[in-house]
Amino acid sequence: MASLANPRLMLVILAAVFAFLYVPISVLVALSFNEGGLPTAWTGFSTKWYGELLRNGDIMSAAFNTLVVALVSTALATLFGSLLAVGVEIRRRKGRFLETIIFAPMIIPDIVLAIALLSFFSLLNVTMGLHTVILSHVVFNLAFVCSVVRARLKTFDWSIVEASTDLGASMPVTLFRIVLPVMLPAIIAGALLAFTLSVDEFIIAFFTAGAGRDSITLPMQIFAMIRFGVTPEINALATIVMAVSVVALTLSQRLNRGGLPGQ
Amino acid sequence: MTQPLLSLRNVEKHFGTVRAVDGFSLDIQENEFFALLGASGSGKTTLLRMLAGFETLTGGEILLDGKDISQVPPNRRPVNLMFQSYALFPHMSIAQNIAYGLEMEKCSKSEIKRRVGEMLEIIQLSHLAGRKPDQLSGGQRQRVALGRALIKRPRLLLLDEPLGALDKKLRGDMQLELKRLQHEIGITFIIVTHDQEEALVMADRVAILKDGKLLQCATPRDIYEHPNSRYSADFIGVMNFLPATLRQGQVIAANGQPVAAQLPEGLSEGNDVVVAIRPERLQVAAYRGGGGPRGRVLATAYHGLDLQLHLQTNLSSEPITVRLTAQEAEQTALSEGDEVELGWNAKDTRVFAA
Repeated sequence: MASLANPRLMLVILAAVFAFLYVPISVLVALSFNEGGLPTAWTGFSTKWYGELLRNGDIMSAAFNTLVVALVSTALATLFGSLLAVGVEIRRRKGRFLETIIFAPMIIPDIVLAIALLSFFSLLNVTMGLHTVILSHVVFNLAFVCSVVRARLKTFDWSIVEASTDLGASMPVTLFRIVLPVMLPAIIAGALLAFTLSVDEFIIAFFTAGAGRDSITLPMQIFAMIRFGVTPEINALATIVMAVSVVALTLSQRLNRGGLPGQ
Repeated sequence: MTQPLLSLRNVEKHFGTVRAVDGFSLDIQENEFFALLGASGSGKTTLLRMLAGFETLTGGEILLDGKDISQVPPNRRPVNLMFQSYALFPHMSIAQNIAYGLEMEKCSKSEIKRRVGEMLEIIQLSHLAGRKPDQLSGGQRQRVALGRALIKRPRLLLLDEPLGALDKKLRGDMQLELKRLQHEIGITFIIVTHDQEEALVMADRVAILKDGKLLQCATPRDIYEHPNSRYSADFIGVMNFLPATLRQGQVIAANGQPVAAQLPEGLSEGNDVVVAIRPERLQVAAYRGGGGPRGRVLATAYHGLDLQLHLQTNLSSEPITVRLTAQEAEQTALSEGDEVELGWNAKDTRVFAA
């Protein structure tokens, strides 16, 4: 075991692991700036593929759809997920069953959830489109927001709620002046996580978007384009999606120092 | 007699089959510093939370200035509670914490500013007005919690173990500080504590609670000198208990000798009793061959102003504590292993059913 203790060897192993994780992503980002557009040769730095992206109507409408889905589903999931977290925390003495069924959508494989939602919407004869994608995203985002907010609530000092009441505040005033401000970092962290998950979610959107071109989201668009090979535009698009996700996740984690449960 | 500020009448609180507060009646006068003293589970905190409005009553009524407030929600009672954990709002500055109660009363901006400034002076934290609670020490946080509750000028301030989170030295300072504040602003204080010393030092009157019932309510001195039950006698200060039996109008100790004791009413011939006597009421002298109570010094403990002797006596299997003043200790000059004889006056004893 002596060789394992060798610090130089340890560094090499560490470097190899990180290379495995990040070289493909780095290559993708680099290629998105490759003027020639071919993966085989570097012909110079250029942002022209980003310009191409902006001129591509299909991509832009898909990006708009994704933004709508992410914003609306995040808003709904944040509102209901936070309320749910508070409710579950107050009732937590009634056992852990409630917790388990709330967090199930985080653990159930996406493909199962996707099929289940598709069957459900078909059964109800709902015309599918962007609205069904939004509803489907609320399903798993609710669980994620709830879990982040609940993690913070575990250390929440409920006596400040009583203190506020004691000092003359009504319940709504206490909610807005005490509970909400104290919980806000966790709520925003949950919302950012939900937004990130929604932006790059593919399987569930693919199953529940219906047939029309109007409800294609960005990951679906990328999937459609990639059948004709990886174009430099896709590299540029992937780089932007990644940048958005990284920023949102970093913010989310910074706001929620306790770490993300279920991750 | 004037109307009491607060009257508890047959107050009951049941949690399932547990009677947390059991038929509790009590009057508290304006400007009193009153202590509810009891071990954990005695119902003292439940009682306090009922006064604040956070627990509903199972039965009875609570009258404040003669009006029943038991149905009034906590945010509409002229009563404020200082929480054991202080419960300061972590996202607000000290000044904002203190102003909160006045904002709820819809006071004008200028009035809030003036009164918060005054309160910061009183609790001596003006220089820290802009700090957040987590930047304060325990003692400072305690003063903020106090100021936040006092600024509403409540008819009644409730304090839940207010000094529990402080270290011993600070606790002593804050006891005096609380008492000074209470005199200065003239608000009735009800404090809940399990610390008998705290109750004795601060309170004008003390109520001893056990299993949700009121055992005794009196001034600290009265409780110390005239405890009405074995539990009160044991809870406050140090007390020696000698097992004995009542026979032919006399109190007979475990060794068969009659001992000096005040005969209680309501106990009859043949009853097993305990004779309670304070350590400072016992007299000891070097053994000179008398037939009375005697013992041997097991250990001595020096406490500055006084000397405590632990004696093994012929009266009980438990050691007995004797407290001598420095002067007495010098006169008797007793040390470990010495044989002593023991005496006391009947009027200094209390006899309780065993």
